[in-house]
Amino acid sequence: MPDRAFGRPAEAGTTGTAGPARVLVLVYGIFALAAGSRATVQLATRFAEAPVAYLLSAFAALVYVVATVGLARGARGRRTALAAIGVELAGVLVVGTLSLADPAAFPDETVWSGYGRGYGYVPLVLPVLGLLLLRRTGRGRS
Amino acid sequence: MTLPLVVAVTVVAALLTGLGLASTAAGRRIGLVHLAGAGLLLALLLVQAVLAVVAMAGGDTPADTPTFLGYLAGVVLIPVAGVLWAQAERTRWAGTVLAVAAAAVGVMVWRLLQLWEATGA
Repeated sequence: MPDRAFGRPAEAGTTGTAGPARVLVLVYGIFALAAGSRATVQLATRFAEAPVAYLLSAFAALVYVVATVGLARGARGRRTALAAIGVELAGVLVVGTLSLADPAAFPDETVWSGYGRGYGYVPLVLPVLGLLLLRRTGRGRS
Repeated sequence: MTLPLVVAVTVVAALLTGLGLASTAAGRRIGLVHLAGAGLLLALLLVQAVLAVVAMAGGDTPADTPTFLGYLAGVVLIPVAGVLWAQAERTRWAGTVLAVAAAAVGVMVWRLLQLWEATGA
């Protein structure tokens, strides 16, 4: 009965990185979806107001989609994921710094503005977790 | 879109997040308790969606209607996707998957409320 209520014991292999990797894929998926929908709405309804910020939103969304796909493919998508997450980390650092240094250039928020403060700084933490995971999986294979 | 409903959604989402993390910590997959929590969360979100659509039909529309509708529909899909994904997950990380989905819902409802209150009227 407790198994029915609280879940059966998990299968073996719980020490590997497969589970955490899938959790990360989910978080990346949510961000790809969130950033993608936001960029679509921004570009479709008020592109002229802040073209730079909105194009950046769209670019960020694309990076999240590529990273999600790369992570979801596991070992085969490793290089794709690595490249996308690298771009993501650079993006959040550069855009975060620029948006604080020159707020006038970013009249509307992007995912990466202020190092992702509009999203609870998750955009800043996410690439670090991603790179750590890729490092661990890489070590496991070699 | 009312504050009490948003608070109720947040409380249920937070409980579900805790339950999910607990089952990961305990090395278990998800069980009926998690499904019940997700079901309750989904029910609250559906009530919220219906109330919002009724209010909008009555002419009370938020300033940024496309974004609002996107969130309104998206937030309903997340617990469903979370449960399907967590059920397919055989390792102890099933609970964490559900926890992430619930946490996302908890954040999104506040963004929804924010969008709703930025009404033109």
